[in-house]
Amino acid sequence: MECVVQGIIETQHVEALEVLLQGLSGVPKERVRVHELCLKSGPNLGVVPSEVRLLCDLAQPTPSWTIRHVGGAMRGAGAEQISVLVRTIVESKASNNVLRYFYGIGYKLDHEVLKVGFAFRFQRGAQFTVTVTSANKMPKLHATDEAVAVTPGIQLVEITAPAAANNYNDVASSVTAFCEYLAPLLHLSKPGNSTGIVLTAGAAAASLMSSGGAKTL
Amino acid sequence: MPAAKCLMHWHPNPGVTLNSQILAEACGCAESLGGTKDGRWKTSIIFYRPMTRDGTAAGGAQQQQPNDVARELLGVALHERPGLYFSILRPQRLVLQADAAFPLVMEKLQSYKARVTLNFEGFQYQLGDFCLRIGKCVPNNSETLRGIMMEVEYYPLSSIEKSRAIMEDFFDIWQETLAKKSLPGRFIHVESNFSDYGLSDNYSFQHTAIQYATCLQQLMAAVRA
Repeated sequence: MECVVQGIIETQHVEALEVLLQGLSGVPKERVRVHELCLKSGPNLGVVPSEVRLLCDLAQPTPSWTIRHVGGAMRGAGAEQISVLVRTIVESKASNNVLRYFYGIGYKLDHEVLKVGFAFRFQRGAQFTVTVTSANKMPKLHATDEAVAVTPGIQLVEITAPAAANNYNDVASSVTAFCEYLAPLLHLSKPGNSTGIVLTAGAAAASLMSSGGAKTL
Repeated sequence: MPAAKCLMHWHPNPGVTLNSQILAEACGCAESLGGTKDGRWKTSIIFYRPMTRDGTAAGGAQQQQPNDVARELLGVALHERPGLYFSILRPQRLVLQADAAFPLVMEKLQSYKARVTLNFEGFQYQLGDFCLRIGKCVPNNSETLRGIMMEVEYYPLSSIEKSRAIMEDFFDIWQETLAKKSLPGRFIHVESNFSDYGLSDNYSFQHTAIQYATCLQQLMAAVRA
């Protein structure tokens, strides 16, 4: 399973966020360019309708594929009390015929999106991955070179950290604590509970850029 | 790059029942050729069947499926690469290579269910540049013998074409040695059509997965006959 929070930021403040993340993490950023295809099961296949995501990592010299199943969010009083979403995730690397494979077993393409941006991966109480990406849609099927932004001027920020049944509370606390550092620039919350942009982000970004970035903590 | 391999299955003479004595004789044959036993091995094939929303097709091989649903998937877990998992769609001639988490993805999707697991297991022999794996095919948690097969690996080459002649020579020696034991049947190699699956001449683990699927098909046909 994993803990996840999301938020949005105006593109004009992304550079400041990058400076802040660089300072907090102390690791170099990685380029993100992922073609994500969301497939859904055909009308009569499966006990329940199901959804699977195929991610093609285009940032590598040779594109690599990952199959990703995102499970339902953890429910109950415990889950309500924490400010991050805890959900099951299963991933498997796959060969480049994976799309044809899923078409072959009865899945259909629901939508596709190209995510472009950067990521920081680092250890901070848990193994964090922070991605800052813009979502782009394709005017034609699979035409990633012609992709255009879905929400121009706005980028998605996502923090994920792997967790297990016996430690998700600790991981959630680590994620929540890390979110505090980013609070001047953006609000992060459970996916689906968007709290919009932070009004003071402009001033915080200006301050960050003028001070030359944060120091590694 | 993996070394070239060739799979063979035991084809019993008409009317002869399969028994584990054949396996013991084949192992003896490997030793008489100078092979040294150096461990056990196990490869598994898992049959997946579709599950439909009305719950009718979970186990029925004969039931009608919608056209866009695969009637059967084969999962292959190879002994030599425990971190990998292969899934074969025979009608589409497609072999997917994934990692060991793939069965869990399938479980989560609840669209195909693992129904039957067959294990190929036995002993491994080193014989110069060759590795021989001789084993039986049995259902999971059962000792019912479904077949006997062997895997011949030739370490120096990964090109199927280049290794063909030496494999044939080895096969001739093997058949000659085995013939002395007057067993009621023989080992047969059935060519898998790798190019149909888009695989090249350079041997890969996907080739092995395809060969296991072909071998299994032959074993089942032999049992039916």
